[in-house]
Amino acid sequence: MEHWRRYPRVFWTVLSAPTFWLAVFFIIPLTLIWVYSFGEKRGIVDIEITGTLANYIRAFEPVYLQIFTKSLWIAIVSTFICLAVGLPVALTIVYAPKRWKPVLLMLVILPFWTNLLIRTYALIAVLRTRGYVNFGLEWLHDQALWLFQLVGMGPIGIQLLGERFEPLEMLYNNGAVIIGLVYVHLPFMVLPLYAALERLDRSYLEASLDLGAGQLRTFFLIIVPLAMPGIVSGLIITFIPVLGSFLTPDLLGGPDSTMIANIIERQFKSANDWPFGAALSFLLMYLTFGALALRAYLTRGKGGGLEA
Amino acid sequence: MIGRRGKSISRREALKTTIAGFGAVAAGISFGRTAFAAEEPKLNFYNWDTYIGETTLDDFKGVSGIEVNMSLFADNDELFAKLKEGNPGFDLIVPTNDYVTRMIEADMIMPLDHSKIPNFKKNISPLFQSPDFDKDRKFSMPYMWGTMGIGYRKSRVNGPITSWKTMFESDEYAGRIAWLSESRTMLGIVGMYMGHGMNAVDPVLIDAAADLLIKQKPHVKVIAEDNGQDLLLSGEVDLTIEWNGDILQVMAEDDDLDYVIPQEGSLIWQDTLCIPKGAPHPNNAHAFINYILDAEAGAKIAEFIYYATPNLAARELLGDDYNKNPAIFPPDEVIAKCQSALYLGEDLQGAYETAWTRMQAA
Amino acid sequence: MFKMWRKWRKEHPAGPLDYARKWPLQLTMLATFVFLYAPIVILIAFSFNDSRRNIVWRGFTLKYYEKAMANDGLIEAFVNSLTIAFVSTIVSTILGAMVAILLWRFRFPGKPAYEGTMALPIVIPEICMGVAMLAFFARIGWPTDLIWPLNLGNIIIAHISFSFPFAAVVIRARLAGFNRELEEAARDLGANEWEVYRDILIPYLRPGLVAGGLLAFTLSLDDFVITFFTSGPETVTFPVKVYSMVRFSVTPEVNAASTVLIVITLVLTAVALWMQNRSSSKND
Repeated sequence: MEHWRRYPRVFWTVLSAPTFWLAVFFIIPLTLIWVYSFGEKRGIVDIEITGTLANYIRAFEPVYLQIFTKSLWIAIVSTFICLAVGLPVALTIVYAPKRWKPVLLMLVILPFWTNLLIRTYALIAVLRTRGYVNFGLEWLHDQALWLFQLVGMGPIGIQLLGERFEPLEMLYNNGAVIIGLVYVHLPFMVLPLYAALERLDRSYLEASLDLGAGQLRTFFLIIVPLAMPGIVSGLIITFIPVLGSFLTPDLLGGPDSTMIANIIERQFKSANDWPFGAALSFLLMYLTFGALALRAYLTRGKGGGLEA
Repeated sequence: MIGRRGKSISRREALKTTIAGFGAVAAGISFGRTAFAAEEPKLNFYNWDTYIGETTLDDFKGVSGIEVNMSLFADNDELFAKLKEGNPGFDLIVPTNDYVTRMIEADMIMPLDHSKIPNFKKNISPLFQSPDFDKDRKFSMPYMWGTMGIGYRKSRVNGPITSWKTMFESDEYAGRIAWLSESRTMLGIVGMYMGHGMNAVDPVLIDAAADLLIKQKPHVKVIAEDNGQDLLLSGEVDLTIEWNGDILQVMAEDDDLDYVIPQEGSLIWQDTLCIPKGAPHPNNAHAFINYILDAEAGAKIAEFIYYATPNLAARELLGDDYNKNPAIFPPDEVIAKCQSALYLGEDLQGAYETAWTRMQAA
Repeated sequence: MFKMWRKWRKEHPAGPLDYARKWPLQLTMLATFVFLYAPIVILIAFSFNDSRRNIVWRGFTLKYYEKAMANDGLIEAFVNSLTIAFVSTIVSTILGAMVAILLWRFRFPGKPAYEGTMALPIVIPEICMGVAMLAFFARIGWPTDLIWPLNLGNIIIAHISFSFPFAAVVIRARLAGFNRELEEAARDLGANEWEVYRDILIPYLRPGLVAGGLLAFTLSLDDFVITFFTSGPETVTFPVKVYSMVRFSVTPEVNAASTVLIVITLVLTAVALWMQNRSSSKND
């Protein structure tokens, strides 16, 4: 790495275009939103920048704080489920026979290459009242009833299971949103976990097993602490998009599954209150920065950094 | 690419390519502008879902050669928001009566040239020639009118549905009801249920309506964006608040469904055809409006979407099962209980929207 | 068969670290794969369903594919998506390469802050960027009656803005492995600055450029949220069109359109991986 003054022409060439683009087409739009958040609606289309904090104050009303809390909660639950499923999967792939590793990894990442919208839509057909899970459960229900009748215990069967199958309400509620978020973000979690576990020195594990610790103890006392930077990285990288997700709660959620991004979208579309939407947007960004700072703090000096 | 003499040639070459590039862009823009002076045979139509005849767009293309590109919106809020910051390229829109007032005030729609719409004076009923919200039809043409009510599945309810209470203040069908997503309309209907009418101007009343909805929200399965009838048909919900024609459309596919206007009264609305300012093809838009107001085309639309048409000539072409259907043309005593929505000015509109946002967030 | 399996197991005893052979983990993997793939497989299967409501299977048909192919709006949206992705990829790769070279090669004051800012488009929630773009283009009065393809301009700009930092990360990873002795050797032999770049660095970078380009292309093709806020009636992209189809009157046509998009993305990924394998075995 050399000091820029040694080759100034090259330096300015590679500096100019990307910086210009970032400044004009990214920083300026964000600044505009930031400025709007201090504005008020005037009339039907105009916004006047009055330097008011009214939008932020309104964003801290209990109603909206509740939405932030609910979104954080849904995001945390979804991220942890991703971790709980992602860790065993990543572990299995890392210690799989060499031939299979790229194949297995590809199989896990492949759904990630398909469109988010399509994957969420696919879930609707699976989870709805007349969807495939309910169809499957209904079939099981009918088979069970038939079995009961076969052994002559028909009435008992009906008492236990009910005459008609009542479908599970799996769509248009918070549960559906969590399932959807896990479904969409799981492949995203596996990658950093895989990277972290791959770098693990196997001799530690072998030593632990030789010394008599069982598999589970080895897992929790050796593997997890050693892979912690990667785990934290994976958690944060998954948490941020989940927190700001819009499409999944929009398509799968019920009336009480509104997340931050949905409220923001509504302010910029139907509710026609750009200043308030801008304030909410920026609060979401501060939350994001907070999560990133947390990650930097937790992985300081442990080989963290942006590449994880 | 880069010459052997290094920097000097590359800089000159770069400048040449940049100028050539800008030239191409400028040519493109100017060509585009002149091309639009003579309108190309295209039309960008922004419409509600399930709100046009089965073959209307193709028929119009056959008659005029104009290709109609139809995009969909779910409610007036979405329509208004899309056009608010400038017309992104739509030629014809379908706002409801109170939103026409709002758009006229915001200077978002352009005056119509009646000489290009002869079918208006010929076919449209005198009752619709000069409404309160647009005297002498300067900015809008009538499209359809109708009511709002409850669509429900007969085999899954415990008795006749008579009141809005089932949807707003009862847990009898918890988890099986759907609301509509249009903010002003829903809060207005709640106002009618609570007794203070569709057009409350006191913010206290507006907030009271939102509070009622917040209390009932845990019993609601979905706040549907104009697809309540699909949810009803597929069995996802058993009761839904929807426009009358949408429910009639799914009733045609399933005998177990029915539509009712509750006893507290409901909304009576009128949809119109307007041309937003900055429309790229206003001539084509006028031609399409005139086509829709034609007797035969109008009849085809009306019998497909089950809404009430203000087009007397079209009605003459349709039979009794359309003209005498009480869900399409309600009897006078039902109409007497219904109210129209009024645009109450931007401040109150904001109050309604804030209340709705509060309800959504709660 | 069973005997052969038993024999194989005896000859290859599972070591304590052979996690892939442990049945709880195998079960987890299987369950995960079923969870991940079943909805997509069902979606593709039901695109052939002969039923408008598409709830129960009623028979095999290709008519919804025909409808999708004949759907002018869908085709137009698809062409728009490809055009946007194409332009965005080229510009993003160039900008990304410039940033990667800048950060890899030079020290300069304020570098950590610059790196952080460059990473912002990657970490920022998409909705924040979407509304920022919407407000920006509305405020500067971006003309809305341009002719195709210039009317895709604002979408292309937005896509480039969020794609090039991703491309930069990928290209920078590739740069990290560059052996600077090659560069010094070339300079010793009399090459000037640009010749070094043209003949040494760029060819080395090519797999990284391809990978970065592929990433930018997929990001652009699949993007929904940001495009949702910047598109108009004549500039509808494929995901935005599918969203509209999902919201209103869902038929197997949506499944057909989705299947087409899935196939295209998979084919592109496969091609790019194959190209990368070829070039890396050639160059390295």
